[in-house]
Amino acid sequence: MLWVDKYRPKSLDKMLVHEEVAKNLKKLVTEQDCPHLLFYGPSGSGKKTLIMAVLRQMFGAGAEKVKLENKTWKINAGSRTIDLELTMLSSTHHVELNPSDAGFQDRYIVQEIIKEMAKNRPIDTKGKKGYKVLVLNEVDKLSREAQHSLRRTMEKYSASCRLILCCNSSSKVTEAVRSRCLNVRINAPKEDEIISVLEFIGKKEGLQLPPGFAARIAAQSNRSLRRAILSFETCRVQQYPFTNNQVILPMDWEQYISEIASDIMQEQSPKRLFLVRGKLYELLINCIPPVIILKRLLSELLKKLDAELKHEVCHWAAYYEHRMRLGQKAIFHIEAFVAKFMSIYKAFLIATFG
Amino acid sequence: MDMEMDIPLPEEMEWLENQAFQEEDEEDFYYPEEEEDEQEQLPQKQQQRPPEPSQTSPPNTSIATSLSKSSSVANHSALPENQINGKKRQWAGADGTDASSTGKAPSEEKRNRVAPHEPGMDEGWLRYSPSKERADVAPAVVEQEKFISRFASEIEGDCISITGPSGDRVYAKINRFETNDVKRLSIDGHANGLTLEPIGILMERAEQEAFTKALQVSSASPGDSILPEMPVVTEQLWVDKYAPNSFTELLSDEQTNREVLLWLKQWDSCVFGSEIRSTTDDVLSALRRHSSRTQQKKPSNMVPNGKNKGFHLSNRTFKHLNHLEGENTNLEDIREFWNKKSRFNGPPEQKVLLLCGPPGLGKTTLAHVAAKHCGYRVVEINASDDRSSSTIEAKILDVVQMNSVIADSKPKCLVIDEIDGALGEGKGAVEVILKMIAAEKKSAIGKGNIAQEEQGKTSSKKGRKTASLLRPVICICNDLFAPALRPLRQVAKVHIFVHPTISRVVNRLKHICNKEGFRTSSIALTALAEYTECDIRSCLNTLQFLNKKKETLNVLELSCQVVGRKDMSRSAFDVWKEVFQKRKVKQERKSMNRFRTTSSNFDFLDSLISNRGEYELTMDGIHENILQLHYHDPLMQKTVKCLNNLGVSDFMHQYVMQTQQMQLRVYQSSVAIAIHNLIAQVEKPNIEWPKSFQRYRALFMEKRDLLRSWHHKISPSISRHLSAGYFVEDAISQLLHILSPPTLRPVALHLLSEREKDDLAQLVDTMVSYSITYKNTKPEPLSAISRHETSLDTSELSFEPPIHDFINFKGYTSGHYVLPLPMKQVLVHEVEKQKILRESVIRSIPSNDGNNCRNQALHQEQSDKAPSSKRDGAVECQYMENEKDKLTKTQWKFSTSKSPSALDSDRSATSGMKLATSEDVKRPSGGSSSFFDRFRKSRNEVPKSANDSLQMPAKLARDAHPLLFKFNEGFTNAIKRPVRMRELLL
Repeated sequence: MLWVDKYRPKSLDKMLVHEEVAKNLKKLVTEQDCPHLLFYGPSGSGKKTLIMAVLRQMFGAGAEKVKLENKTWKINAGSRTIDLELTMLSSTHHVELNPSDAGFQDRYIVQEIIKEMAKNRPIDTKGKKGYKVLVLNEVDKLSREAQHSLRRTMEKYSASCRLILCCNSSSKVTEAVRSRCLNVRINAPKEDEIISVLEFIGKKEGLQLPPGFAARIAAQSNRSLRRAILSFETCRVQQYPFTNNQVILPMDWEQYISEIASDIMQEQSPKRLFLVRGKLYELLINCIPPVIILKRLLSELLKKLDAELKHEVCHWAAYYEHRMRLGQKAIFHIEAFVAKFMSIYKAFLIATFG
Repeated sequence: MDMEMDIPLPEEMEWLENQAFQEEDEEDFYYPEEEEDEQEQLPQKQQQRPPEPSQTSPPNTSIATSLSKSSSVANHSALPENQINGKKRQWAGADGTDASSTGKAPSEEKRNRVAPHEPGMDEGWLRYSPSKERADVAPAVVEQEKFISRFASEIEGDCISITGPSGDRVYAKINRFETNDVKRLSIDGHANGLTLEPIGILMERAEQEAFTKALQVSSASPGDSILPEMPVVTEQLWVDKYAPNSFTELLSDEQTNREVLLWLKQWDSCVFGSEIRSTTDDVLSALRRHSSRTQQKKPSNMVPNGKNKGFHLSNRTFKHLNHLEGENTNLEDIREFWNKKSRFNGPPEQKVLLLCGPPGLGKTTLAHVAAKHCGYRVVEINASDDRSSSTIEAKILDVVQMNSVIADSKPKCLVIDEIDGALGEGKGAVEVILKMIAAEKKSAIGKGNIAQEEQGKTSSKKGRKTASLLRPVICICNDLFAPALRPLRQVAKVHIFVHPTISRVVNRLKHICNKEGFRTSSIALTALAEYTECDIRSCLNTLQFLNKKKETLNVLELSCQVVGRKDMSRSAFDVWKEVFQKRKVKQERKSMNRFRTTSSNFDFLDSLISNRGEYELTMDGIHENILQLHYHDPLMQKTVKCLNNLGVSDFMHQYVMQTQQMQLRVYQSSVAIAIHNLIAQVEKPNIEWPKSFQRYRALFMEKRDLLRSWHHKISPSISRHLSAGYFVEDAISQLLHILSPPTLRPVALHLLSEREKDDLAQLVDTMVSYSITYKNTKPEPLSAISRHETSLDTSELSFEPPIHDFINFKGYTSGHYVLPLPMKQVLVHEVEKQKILRESVIRSIPSNDGNNCRNQALHQEQSDKAPSSKRDGAVECQYMENEKDKLTKTQWKFSTSKSPSALDSDRSATSGMKLATSEDVKRPSGGSSSFFDRFRKSRNEVPKSANDSLQMPAKLARDAHPLLFKFNEGFTNAIKRPVRMRELLL
């Protein structure tokens, strides 16, 4: 088992980061009835861990006994019946699923599952919570229709079903849904926090950390706790008695993007753009989200860029990211950004060096 | 020339007449050929008697009559079709003339009165016509006559009143037999000086007849016993009227024509049998020789004697034939050559000919004409027929395998028109053909020289079991790349039609216009041809329409004048080409203002792209090829603009799809036009099909599914924290590093230090919890093991699921350490064992402690050892023994790792490593003894081990139970070696 999983805090008390949030949540769950919750924040910040801890706080250890099941839903949608299949994790107290897997039919999933949970309400509620919890992941990827259908069911069945929503960005969740939930923002952990977590793990594992080593890992982690712990373990595996100048291995795709960036800086021509296109395709094929690619590419380019161009380049990156979200074929937009950058940079080079 | 006289009334009447008799004519058209011939000839025979007076007519017969006679003389062996048309028109003209000259409309009542007689008479002719006369009559029959009588009652059928210059009044019979190429003229001795046709028309006719005669000569059909088939023209559409009848008249590309003909000729030996076609080889050779030149085929050997006269005529008409006389001598040599070489060449290699090209270039015409030319009877299956698989199979089999019952019938040639248009059930045709070709091949392999047998068989009417293709099949399509045609494309001989040169089309159009008396300029015709892209059909329809409207073709208003312009859906490649390539500058020069050109260009592209319809594909293609173009763009601004435009098109598409407002798709074409205006070049672009995006899509799906399935395999307590999407982003690289630690030495397990053992245990644990293992990708013999001692790039064992693929970018070398093969084998083994252990742990522990999950269980195990050790009695708990050992070791590792004994063993391990590797490598894969057992063995040899105290009771407990190794039952990791019982019980 990886350290990421091994040292994941199980309860709200043991939280190392977001202690304040954990404390509030605990109070909320123990003292009063829990409202719908919406956790949002960047990946690797500990949303899921918090959710699990909350569930444990609500239902005790029973919430951790989960099983994986493949459920098929038969939905009567007016004239036709739709068959949907979705995998979900469920315990006796909660159901966890990723409705965006259902694609454009996510609406039905959301409606059906909540209704079903409401139907199967336990008769004997003495000593137990009178509700089940539905954990929906990636709510920001839900279609608008699904979100709209969610808001009514949220109210209607709130007696028997609580929702815990989890997403990266709350801006993609409609106002209506947001206002029905208690929004919990989970920030990316600060580097200090990451360092303290790493040191904690080091102590548990009985490792001797040279001073500043944890800080270096934290700095490279992009403020993602998951990534920090993983690279910490990687370092441990690569070479144990840590040395102060030990290389912290980068992510491969990031490495690849920096290669692309240097390609772009070297030459600006349609031919080079074609080469870059091939590499971008490679990244996309390997399931790297296009938004991440664009972001990373921008930061790589900014590293090498003259200060006076940075603002403009950032502007265009934002512009093309927006278009990318509007559209469907990410490659068109990333490529357009690269072309734009090449154009700007070439003009700049000619202006300065003649 | 007779435009002035062409008042609408007679024409309309004429048209009505044709319409009225269309049914009858069409019936005729579908009759088998024999009957058709008969029908054609019967009336002619009937007319043999009446002509007598006209031929012996006194000198005061009008010039017109004598001229008509003279023309009919010239007409002796003329090919009828054009002639019919010509005459019909001329007759109509005459009608008009007379009507106007007399100032009397044809008397309708008389017609009506007479009309009822007609059908009866017709049938009468049909019934008792002596058929034996036919043979000798045939050549001389084609004669032109008219029935003219003083009395309307004498005329069977409709008639028209004519007043001659002398005031005589006669009734002329209206000829209703469109199938006939003759009109009857019966002149009583008294009917002097009747001019039915102006001299000009007659002159023209004579000329035309000479022309047709020449053409006919050149088209000698192979089966000479049969008269050339003459399609009966019933419509007045110019397209049909001036459709080429003979090979030489074809307007399509000479090269293609020749190749088609050559292909058809190659069937001769198979279809007709070699003895009939002694000249085939010459023709073939001639065809081959000439196929590069643009000139007519002149198979002089094939021309029957009776037609020699026509040969000269044709020489006169087509001047360029002259030098062919000289070539006849050459033919002799080549004939010998071919006789030797390909006396018995069977059907051509490819049994199916696939003609493809844009509409209106004459593909169907070529197929028909060429087949007829070679003596086949054309059987056409087109889109209007039933194309379901079963019916079409029967039909094709009929055509291809059966011989007609009538002995001297021509062999059939199957023409499947519009084969691409039909999807679904239309595929039936393609399937059937493919099946037959496959059968053919099979039988050819089976029998060897089946070709010769077949030649013998073809002439005799033996039934054949194998459904092989024995007749030529010509398929015609517009879009070569239609999905339905994909299989056919591979087996068929494909000919792609190119546009004929504009000058050729214009010449033909001019010729037709002249004939029709329609005034045009060649400039206008050129413009028309360009506008319709050499679509002859469209040109002719337009011209005819304009002729009807009495308008002249106007260069400037061409786009308004071309009415019946069809939607031309072009292939995707054409669309891309148009987008990337500038059109010729010639047009610009011609039309004075630039603005007009751009707007018309815009219109053209817009309609082109809209007609194509598949905007997404179009955009993909543009995106794929745009960077390969050579446009001047120093600062990449054009590229940026183009890509921006593509982006616009992309989110427009997305929006349309989301909101289902399909009508907004029309704006997609404007994006392409914008790109065209930015980067279009004159040079020809090299266009590729957009594969990369599809490839990306397919691979992406594949990898995503892989991730998902892996995600599902991982135990939920871990996988719930990490959505599949973030695996690659956050975890994969690090995971790979963790899974292949470079510190792990590829030595025997018992030589590892304590810490290394812990690391190994940890690694195995990680692999199990993330459900990763190694899989044999290439089942190679294990002798290759020694090769992989250091770093290896071609590993037989790779990750399963193949997570290493996710960092496998093209042109990127990752710095990932790959474990040596022996290590991997050890890992595979350990992982398997661990899995089995965990399952048994789950089974053994009832889910009462709240931690049902496997990992939780293990942790539980670790934390409270005492309660679990109580259940020692159970057999399953024996299995847990190992687990416990390991876990306790993890706890105690600090004490053990620092003990001198461990260091000792470590040292010994390093010293013995070199020797040990080769033999020890095999041992861990033994499959029988587990990792920890072996390591215990080594411990026994080093008795000072700190773990000894722990191992001893465990061993004792194990020895007490004979079922100890049951968990290995049925387990193999593909490496088998004999194991002694002694080893197991040690």
